[in-house]
Amino acid sequence: MGLTPSAADLTPTDAELAGVSPNFLTTTLDALTNWGRANSLWPMPFGTACCAIEFMATAAGRFDVARFGMERMSFSPRQADLLICAGRLPFKLAPIIRRIWDQMPQPKWSISMGACASSGGIFDTYAMVQGIDTIIPVDVYVPGCPPRPEGLIYGVTMLQKKIRGETMVDPTLRRETEVDARGFYLPPEKIDVLSEPFGNSVHQTRSA
Amino acid sequence: MTAATALQAAFGSAIVRSAVSCGDLIVWVERDRAHDILAWLRDTAGQEYNYLTDITAVDYRDPERPLEVVYQLRSLARKADLRVKIALDKLGPLEVESVYDLWKGADWLEREVFDMFGVTFRGHPDLRRILMWDTYAEGHPLRKDFPLRGHFTRAEQTRQALAANPEAHYSIEELTIAEAFGELPEDVRRRLAHGERGRVK
Ligand code: SF4
Repeated sequence: MGLTPSAADLTPTDAELAGVSPNFLTTTLDALTNWGRANSLWPMPFGTACCAIEFMATAAGRFDVARFGMERMSFSPRQADLLICAGRLPFKLAPIIRRIWDQMPQPKWSISMGACASSGGIFDTYAMVQGIDTIIPVDVYVPGCPPRPEGLIYGVTMLQKKIRGETMVDPTLRRETEVDARGFYLPPEKIDVLSEPFGNSVHQTRSA
Repeated sequence: MTAATALQAAFGSAIVRSAVSCGDLIVWVERDRAHDILAWLRDTAGQEYNYLTDITAVDYRDPERPLEVVYQLRSLARKADLRVKIALDKLGPLEVESVYDLWKGADWLEREVFDMFGVTFRGHPDLRRILMWDTYAEGHPLRKDFPLRGHFTRAEQTRQALAANPEAHYSIEELTIAEAFGELPEDVRRRLAHGERGRVK
Protein backbone atom coordinates (compact mmCIF):
# COMPACT_ATOMS: atom_id res chain seq x y z
CA MET A 1 0.00 0.00 0.00
CA GLY A 2 1.30 3.41 -0.89
CA LEU A 3 1.63 6.42 1.35
CA THR A 4 -1.77 7.76 0.42
CA PRO A 5 -4.35 5.09 1.06
CA SER A 6 -7.29 5.55 -1.22
CA ALA A 7 -10.26 3.66 -2.49
CA ALA A 8 -7.96 2.13 -5.12
CA ASP A 9 -5.88 0.51 -2.37
CA LEU A 10 -8.94 -1.10 -0.90
CA THR A 11 -10.17 -2.50 -4.18
CA PRO A 12 -8.48 -5.81 -4.99
CA THR A 13 -6.49 -5.72 -8.19
CA ASP A 14 -6.82 -8.42 -10.81
CA ALA A 15 -3.42 -9.79 -9.81
CA GLU A 16 -4.51 -10.11 -6.22
CA LEU A 17 -7.67 -11.88 -7.21
CA ALA A 18 -5.96 -14.25 -9.64
CA GLY A 19 -5.80 -17.72 -8.23
CA VAL A 20 -8.24 -17.08 -5.41
CA SER A 21 -11.88 -17.71 -5.90
CA PRO A 22 -14.54 -18.77 -3.48
CA ASN A 23 -15.02 -22.52 -3.41
CA PHE A 24 -17.02 -24.98 -1.36
CA LEU A 25 -14.51 -24.94 1.49
CA THR A 26 -14.11 -21.16 1.80
CA THR A 27 -17.78 -20.35 1.51
CA THR A 28 -18.67 -22.91 4.15
CA LEU A 29 -16.02 -21.51 6.49
CA ASP A 30 -17.12 -17.97 5.65
CA ALA A 31 -20.67 -18.80 6.56
CA LEU A 32 -19.54 -20.17 9.90
CA THR A 33 -17.14 -17.37 10.87
CA ASN A 34 -19.44 -14.62 9.62
CA TRP A 35 -22.34 -16.11 11.53
CA GLY A 36 -20.23 -16.03 14.67
CA ARG A 37 -18.85 -12.56 14.11
CA ALA A 38 -22.10 -10.92 13.10
CA ASN A 39 -23.93 -12.27 16.12
CA SER A 40 -21.35 -11.45 18.76
CA LEU A 41 -20.31 -7.88 18.03
CA TRP A 42 -18.76 -6.32 21.09
CA PRO A 43 -19.19 -2.57 20.82
CA MET A 44 -16.76 -0.01 22.09
CA PRO A 45 -19.01 2.95 22.89
CA PHE A 46 -17.40 6.28 22.08
CA GLY A 47 -20.15 8.54 23.36
CA THR A 48 -19.21 12.20 23.20
CA ALA A 49 -22.51 14.05 23.14
CA CYS A 50 -26.30 13.87 23.08
CA CYS A 51 -26.32 10.85 20.72
CA ALA A 52 -24.74 8.85 23.53
CA ILE A 53 -27.96 9.24 25.53
CA GLU A 54 -29.84 7.58 22.71
CA PHE A 55 -27.13 4.95 22.53
CA MET A 56 -27.64 4.23 26.23
CA ALA A 57 -31.36 3.89 25.59
CA THR A 58 -30.55 1.39 22.86
CA ALA A 59 -28.37 -0.60 25.23
CA ALA A 60 -30.88 -0.50 28.08
CA GLY A 61 -33.78 -2.84 28.73
CA ARG A 62 -36.51 -1.45 26.48
CA PHE A 63 -34.62 -1.74 23.20
CA ASP A 64 -31.99 -4.16 24.48
CA VAL A 65 -29.28 -4.32 21.88
CA ALA A 66 -28.14 -7.54 23.56
CA ARG A 67 -30.80 -9.25 21.47
CA PHE A 68 -28.47 -8.70 18.52
CA GLY A 69 -25.47 -10.28 20.17
CA MET A 70 -24.06 -7.10 21.67
CA GLU A 71 -24.35 -8.46 25.16
CA ARG A 72 -21.14 -6.99 26.41
CA MET A 73 -20.18 -3.33 26.15
CA SER A 74 -16.46 -3.33 25.85
CA PHE A 75 -14.94 -0.34 27.56
CA SER A 76 -11.53 -1.45 26.42
CA PRO A 77 -10.75 -1.11 22.72
CA ARG A 78 -8.57 -4.23 22.90
CA GLN A 79 -11.58 -6.46 23.51
CA ALA A 80 -13.93 -4.73 21.09
CA ASP A 81 -14.78 -5.27 17.46
CA LEU A 82 -17.27 -2.48 16.82
CA LEU A 83 -16.55 1.19 17.44
CA ILE A 84 -19.74 3.23 17.78
CA CYS A 85 -19.01 6.94 17.64
CA ALA A 86 -22.13 8.44 19.22
CA GLY A 87 -21.87 12.20 19.17
CA ARG A 88 -19.84 15.03 17.75
CA LEU A 89 -16.10 14.75 17.55
CA PRO A 90 -13.98 17.85 18.18
CA PHE A 91 -10.50 18.02 16.71
CA LYS A 92 -9.15 17.67 20.24
CA LEU A 93 -10.65 14.16 20.42
CA ALA A 94 -9.58 13.18 16.89
CA PRO A 95 -6.20 11.71 17.93
CA ILE A 96 -7.95 9.83 20.73
CA ILE A 97 -10.54 8.10 18.52
CA ARG A 98 -7.76 7.35 16.05
CA ARG A 99 -5.71 5.76 18.82
CA ILE A 100 -8.69 3.74 20.03
CA TRP A 101 -9.31 2.57 16.46
CA ASP A 102 -5.65 1.61 16.10
CA GLN A 103 -5.79 -0.32 19.38
CA MET A 104 -8.73 -2.43 18.26
CA PRO A 105 -7.68 -5.80 16.84
CA GLN A 106 -8.97 -7.10 13.54
CA PRO A 107 -11.66 -7.93 12.64
CA LYS A 108 -13.22 -4.55 13.44
CA TRP A 109 -15.98 -2.33 12.13
CA SER A 110 -17.29 1.10 12.97
CA ILE A 111 -20.64 2.84 13.06
CA SER A 112 -20.94 6.60 12.83
CA MET A 113 -24.03 7.44 14.82
CA GLY A 114 -25.83 10.70 14.21
CA ALA A 115 -25.48 13.71 11.95
CA CYS A 116 -22.53 15.13 13.86
CA ALA A 117 -20.36 12.05 13.70
CA SER A 118 -21.27 11.50 10.04
CA SER A 119 -20.88 15.02 8.69
CA GLY A 120 -20.26 17.51 11.48
CA GLY A 121 -23.99 18.15 11.60
CA ILE A 122 -24.95 21.66 12.55
CA PHE A 123 -21.46 22.28 13.95
CA ASP A 124 -19.66 23.55 10.88
CA THR A 125 -17.09 25.33 13.05
CA TYR A 126 -13.38 25.61 13.72
CA ALA A 127 -13.50 23.05 16.52
CA MET A 128 -15.39 20.16 14.96
CA VAL A 129 -14.31 17.26 12.77
CA GLN A 130 -16.56 17.30 9.70
CA GLY A 131 -17.35 13.61 9.69
CA ILE A 132 -15.35 10.94 11.48
CA ASP A 133 -14.67 9.29 8.13
CA THR A 134 -11.85 11.82 7.75
CA ILE A 135 -10.25 10.24 10.84
CA ILE A 136 -11.18 6.54 10.77
CA PRO A 137 -12.91 4.29 8.23
CA VAL A 138 -16.66 3.99 8.72
CA ASP A 139 -18.87 1.04 7.77
CA VAL A 140 -22.35 2.30 8.53
CA TYR A 141 -23.65 5.85 8.88
CA VAL A 142 -26.78 6.20 10.98
CA PRO A 143 -28.58 9.45 10.17
CA GLY A 144 -30.60 11.44 12.66
CA CYS A 145 -30.16 14.05 15.32
CA PRO A 146 -30.17 11.92 17.37
CA PRO A 147 -31.11 8.67 15.67
CA ARG A 148 -33.81 6.86 17.55
CA PRO A 149 -32.82 3.50 19.06
CA GLU A 150 -34.66 1.78 16.22
CA GLY A 151 -32.39 3.69 13.82
CA LEU A 152 -29.26 2.51 15.55
CA ILE A 153 -30.56 -1.06 15.67
CA TYR A 154 -31.30 -0.83 11.95
CA GLY A 155 -27.71 0.33 11.45
CA VAL A 156 -26.44 -2.60 13.48
CA THR A 157 -28.48 -5.07 11.45
CA MET A 158 -27.17 -3.46 8.27
CA LEU A 159 -23.66 -3.99 9.57
CA GLN A 160 -24.47 -7.60 10.38
CA LYS A 161 -25.70 -8.04 6.83
CA LYS A 162 -22.44 -6.57 5.58
CA ILE A 163 -20.43 -8.92 7.80
CA ARG A 164 -22.35 -11.94 6.52
CA GLY A 165 -21.29 -10.95 3.02
CA GLU A 166 -17.56 -10.94 3.79
CA THR A 167 -15.34 -13.61 2.34
CA MET A 168 -11.90 -14.74 3.39
CA VAL A 169 -10.68 -14.84 -0.20
CA ASP A 170 -10.84 -11.05 -0.42
CA PRO A 171 -7.22 -10.09 0.36
CA THR A 172 -8.12 -6.47 1.06
CA LEU A 173 -10.72 -7.21 3.68
CA ARG A 174 -8.56 -6.72 6.77
CA ARG A 175 -6.26 -4.15 5.23
CA GLU A 176 -5.48 -1.35 7.68
CA THR A 177 -5.38 2.20 6.41
CA GLU A 178 -2.71 3.80 8.50
CA VAL A 179 -1.92 7.46 8.89
CA ASP A 180 0.73 8.14 6.25
CA ALA A 181 4.07 9.89 6.57
CA ARG A 182 2.46 13.26 5.87
CA GLY A 183 0.04 12.69 8.74
CA PHE A 184 -3.05 11.97 6.65
CA TYR A 185 -5.39 9.04 6.70
CA LEU A 186 -7.22 10.23 3.57
CA PRO A 187 -5.69 12.41 0.83
CA PRO A 188 -6.00 16.11 1.79
CA GLU A 189 -8.14 16.97 -1.26
CA LYS A 190 -10.59 14.30 -0.25
CA ILE A 191 -10.78 15.61 3.32
CA ASP A 192 -11.54 19.09 2.01
CA VAL A 193 -14.32 17.74 -0.21
CA LEU A 194 -15.80 15.64 2.57
CA SER A 195 -15.67 18.62 4.93
CA GLU A 196 -17.76 20.86 2.71
CA PRO A 197 -21.07 21.75 4.34
CA PHE A 198 -23.16 18.58 4.12
CA GLY A 199 -20.25 17.12 2.18
CA ASN A 200 -20.39 13.45 2.91
CA SER A 201 -24.07 13.19 3.67
CA VAL A 202 -24.86 13.67 -0.04
CA HIS A 203 -22.30 11.01 -0.99
CA GLN A 204 -23.75 8.36 1.28
CA THR A 205 -24.98 5.13 -0.15
CA ARG A 206 -26.53 2.19 1.52
CA SER A 207 -23.88 -0.29 2.44
CA ALA A 208 -26.11 -3.33 2.21
CA MET B 1 -24.89 53.79 49.47
CA THR B 2 -24.70 51.67 46.35
CA ALA B 3 -21.52 49.97 45.29
CA ALA B 4 -21.11 52.53 42.50
CA THR B 5 -21.10 55.59 44.75
CA ALA B 6 -18.91 53.82 47.32
CA LEU B 7 -16.43 53.00 44.56
CA GLN B 8 -16.53 56.60 43.30
CA ALA B 9 -15.75 57.83 46.79
CA ALA B 10 -12.88 55.37 47.29
CA PHE B 11 -11.27 55.39 43.84
CA GLY B 12 -12.36 58.59 42.17
CA SER B 13 -11.35 58.77 38.53
CA ALA B 14 -10.40 55.09 38.34
CA ILE B 15 -14.12 54.44 38.06
CA VAL B 16 -14.83 55.35 34.44
CA ARG B 17 -18.60 55.13 34.54
CA SER B 18 -21.41 52.98 35.81
CA ALA B 19 -24.76 51.94 34.48
CA VAL B 20 -27.74 49.84 35.43
CA SER B 21 -28.84 47.31 32.83
CA CYS B 22 -31.81 45.00 33.42
CA GLY B 23 -31.49 45.72 37.12
CA ASP B 24 -27.80 44.76 37.22
CA LEU B 25 -25.20 47.30 38.27
CA ILE B 26 -22.26 47.53 35.85
CA VAL B 27 -19.09 49.45 36.69
CA TRP B 28 -16.35 50.24 34.14
CA VAL B 29 -12.95 50.65 35.78
CA GLU B 30 -9.43 51.63 34.75
CA ARG B 31 -7.29 48.70 33.75
CA ASP B 32 -4.37 49.62 36.02
CA ARG B 33 -6.45 49.98 39.16
CA ALA B 34 -8.74 47.01 38.49
CA HIS B 35 -6.91 44.63 40.78
CA ASP B 36 -7.02 47.10 43.70
CA ILE B 37 -10.69 47.76 43.08
CA LEU B 38 -11.58 44.07 42.98
CA ALA B 39 -9.58 43.46 46.16
CA TRP B 40 -11.37 46.38 47.81
CA LEU B 41 -14.75 45.04 46.72
CA ARG B 42 -13.91 41.65 48.20
CA ASP B 43 -12.52 42.84 51.54
CA THR B 44 -14.41 46.01 52.47
CA ALA B 45 -17.16 45.68 55.04
CA GLY B 46 -20.45 46.59 53.43
CA GLN B 47 -19.31 45.27 50.02
CA GLU B 48 -18.05 41.72 50.71
CA TYR B 49 -18.21 40.52 47.11
CA ASN B 50 -16.55 37.30 48.19
CA TYR B 51 -17.63 35.03 45.33
CA LEU B 52 -16.29 35.33 41.79
CA THR B 53 -19.08 33.95 39.59
CA ASP B 54 -17.37 34.31 36.24
CA ILE B 55 -14.70 36.01 34.23
CA THR B 56 -15.38 36.44 30.56
CA ALA B 57 -14.75 38.89 27.76
CA VAL B 58 -16.70 40.50 24.94
CA ASP B 59 -15.39 41.39 21.51
CA TYR B 60 -17.95 43.66 19.89
CA ARG B 61 -18.63 43.55 16.17
CA ASP B 62 -17.86 47.25 15.83
CA PRO B 63 -14.06 47.32 15.36
CA GLU B 64 -13.80 50.73 17.07
CA ARG B 65 -15.25 49.47 20.30
CA PRO B 66 -12.79 48.16 22.86
CA LEU B 67 -12.68 44.56 23.98
CA GLU B 68 -14.14 44.23 27.45
CA VAL B 69 -13.05 41.88 30.21
CA VAL B 70 -16.00 41.17 32.50
CA TYR B 71 -15.90 40.13 36.15
CA GLN B 72 -19.18 38.95 37.62
CA LEU B 73 -19.07 39.18 41.41
CA ARG B 74 -21.53 38.05 44.04
CA SER B 75 -21.75 38.70 47.72
CA LEU B 76 -22.98 35.49 49.26
CA ALA B 77 -23.77 37.20 52.58
CA ARG B 78 -25.60 40.22 51.11
CA LYS B 79 -27.11 38.35 48.16
CA ALA B 80 -25.97 41.12 45.83
CA ASP B 81 -24.43 41.02 42.37
CA LEU B 82 -21.99 43.38 40.71
CA ARG B 83 -20.47 43.39 37.23
CA VAL B 84 -17.06 44.99 36.79
CA LYS B 85 -15.78 45.68 33.29
CA ILE B 86 -12.36 46.67 31.98
CA ALA B 87 -12.24 48.17 28.51
CA LEU B 88 -9.11 47.21 26.55
CA ASP B 89 -8.14 49.05 23.39
CA LYS B 90 -7.73 46.41 20.70
CA LEU B 91 -4.69 48.20 19.28
CA GLY B 92 -2.86 48.18 22.60
CA PRO B 93 -1.65 45.16 24.56
CA LEU B 94 -4.53 42.97 25.72
CA GLU B 95 -3.20 42.58 29.22
CA VAL B 96 -4.75 42.77 32.68
CA GLU B 97 -3.69 41.85 36.19
CA SER B 98 -4.63 38.32 37.27
CA VAL B 99 -7.04 38.02 40.19
CA TYR B 100 -5.88 34.50 40.98
CA ASP B 101 -4.45 35.80 44.29
CA LEU B 102 -7.92 37.04 45.31
CA TRP B 103 -10.04 34.10 44.11
CA LYS B 104 -8.40 30.74 43.41
CA GLY B 105 -11.34 29.97 41.14
CA ALA B 106 -10.04 32.56 38.69
CA ASP B 107 -7.44 30.03 37.53
CA TRP B 108 -9.46 28.24 34.83
CA LEU B 109 -11.69 31.26 34.10
CA GLU B 110 -8.67 33.35 33.16
CA ARG B 111 -7.22 30.49 31.15
CA GLU B 112 -10.47 30.31 29.20
CA VAL B 113 -10.46 34.05 28.46
CA PHE B 114 -6.83 33.77 27.42
CA ASP B 115 -7.61 30.81 25.16
CA MET B 116 -10.69 32.30 23.51
CA PHE B 117 -9.78 36.01 23.36
CA GLY B 118 -6.01 36.19 23.75
CA VAL B 119 -6.11 38.39 26.84
CA THR B 120 -2.97 37.94 28.92
CA PHE B 121 -3.35 37.83 32.69
CA ARG B 122 -0.23 39.13 34.39
CA GLY B 123 0.67 37.07 37.45
CA HIS B 124 -1.39 33.99 36.52
CA PRO B 125 0.55 30.92 37.73
CA ASP B 126 -0.18 28.71 34.71
CA LEU B 127 -1.54 30.65 31.76
CA ARG B 128 -2.12 27.97 29.09
CA ARG B 129 -4.92 27.19 26.70
CA ILE B 130 -7.68 25.26 28.37
CA LEU B 131 -10.33 24.40 25.73
CA MET B 132 -8.18 24.24 22.64
CA TRP B 133 -5.05 22.12 22.80
CA ASP B 134 -1.64 23.54 23.66
CA THR B 135 -0.27 23.51 20.12
CA TYR B 136 -3.37 25.13 18.59
CA ALA B 137 -1.97 27.65 16.13
CA GLU B 138 -4.99 29.30 14.53
CA GLY B 139 -5.51 32.07 17.06
CA HIS B 140 -8.26 32.94 19.49
CA PRO B 141 -11.64 31.63 18.29
CA LEU B 142 -14.06 34.03 19.98
CA ARG B 143 -12.45 37.16 18.51
CA LYS B 144 -14.63 38.73 15.86
CA ASP B 145 -11.83 38.62 13.26
CA PHE B 146 -11.68 34.81 13.57
CA PRO B 147 -13.48 33.00 10.72
CA LEU B 148 -16.12 30.53 11.85
CA ARG B 149 -14.43 27.55 10.20
CA GLY B 150 -10.95 28.56 11.39
CA HIS B 151 -7.97 29.91 9.46
CA PHE B 152 -6.59 26.63 8.13
CA THR B 153 -8.11 24.29 5.58
CA ARG B 154 -10.01 21.29 6.87
CA ALA B 155 -7.25 19.02 5.62
CA GLU B 156 -4.61 20.96 7.54
CA GLN B 157 -6.78 20.98 10.67
CA THR B 158 -7.25 17.22 10.35
CA ARG B 159 -3.54 16.66 9.82
CA GLN B 160 -2.64 18.69 12.91
CA ALA B 161 -5.27 16.92 14.97
CA LEU B 162 -4.03 13.49 13.92
CA ALA B 163 -0.45 14.51 14.69
CA ALA B 164 -1.34 15.54 18.24
CA ASN B 165 -0.24 13.45 21.16
CA PRO B 166 -3.33 13.00 23.35
CA GLU B 167 -1.35 12.19 26.47
CA ALA B 168 0.35 15.56 26.28
CA HIS B 169 -2.91 17.40 26.98
CA TYR B 170 -3.21 16.29 30.57
CA SER B 171 -0.57 16.02 33.22
CA ILE B 172 -1.11 13.38 35.88
CA GLU B 173 -1.38 16.19 38.45
CA GLU B 174 -4.34 17.60 36.57
CA LEU B 175 -6.16 14.30 36.90
CA THR B 176 -5.55 13.74 40.61
CA ILE B 177 -7.41 15.16 43.53
CA ALA B 178 -4.58 14.38 45.95
CA GLU B 179 -2.90 17.72 45.21
CA ALA B 180 -5.91 19.66 46.41
CA PHE B 181 -6.57 17.47 49.42
CA GLY B 182 -4.76 19.67 51.94
CA GLU B 183 -6.78 22.71 50.92
CA LEU B 184 -10.20 21.11 51.32
CA PRO B 185 -12.40 22.07 54.29
CA GLU B 186 -11.87 19.97 57.40
CA ASP B 187 -15.21 18.12 57.23
CA VAL B 188 -14.77 17.24 53.55
CA ARG B 189 -11.29 15.95 54.31
CA ARG B 190 -12.68 13.80 57.10
CA ARG B 191 -15.39 12.34 54.87
CA LEU B 192 -13.00 11.70 52.00
CA ALA B 193 -10.43 10.10 54.26
CA HIS B 194 -12.91 7.56 55.62
CA GLY B 195 -15.18 7.35 52.61
CA GLU B 196 -15.85 4.38 50.43
CA ARG B 197 -13.08 5.46 48.10
CA GLY B 198 -10.55 4.59 50.75
CA ARG B 199 -7.95 6.78 52.33
CA VAL B 200 -6.74 9.63 50.17
CA LYS B 201 -3.86 10.51 52.45
S1 SF4 C 1 -26.35 14.39 15.82
FE1 SF4 C 1 -27.67 15.65 17.14
S2 SF4 C 1 -28.05 14.34 18.93
FE2 SF4 C 1 -26.24 13.52 17.87
S3 SF4 C 1 -24.46 14.49 18.82
FE3 SF4 C 1 -25.05 15.74 17.07
S4 SF4 C 1 -26.40 17.32 17.92
FE4 SF4 C 1 -26.29 15.66 19.41
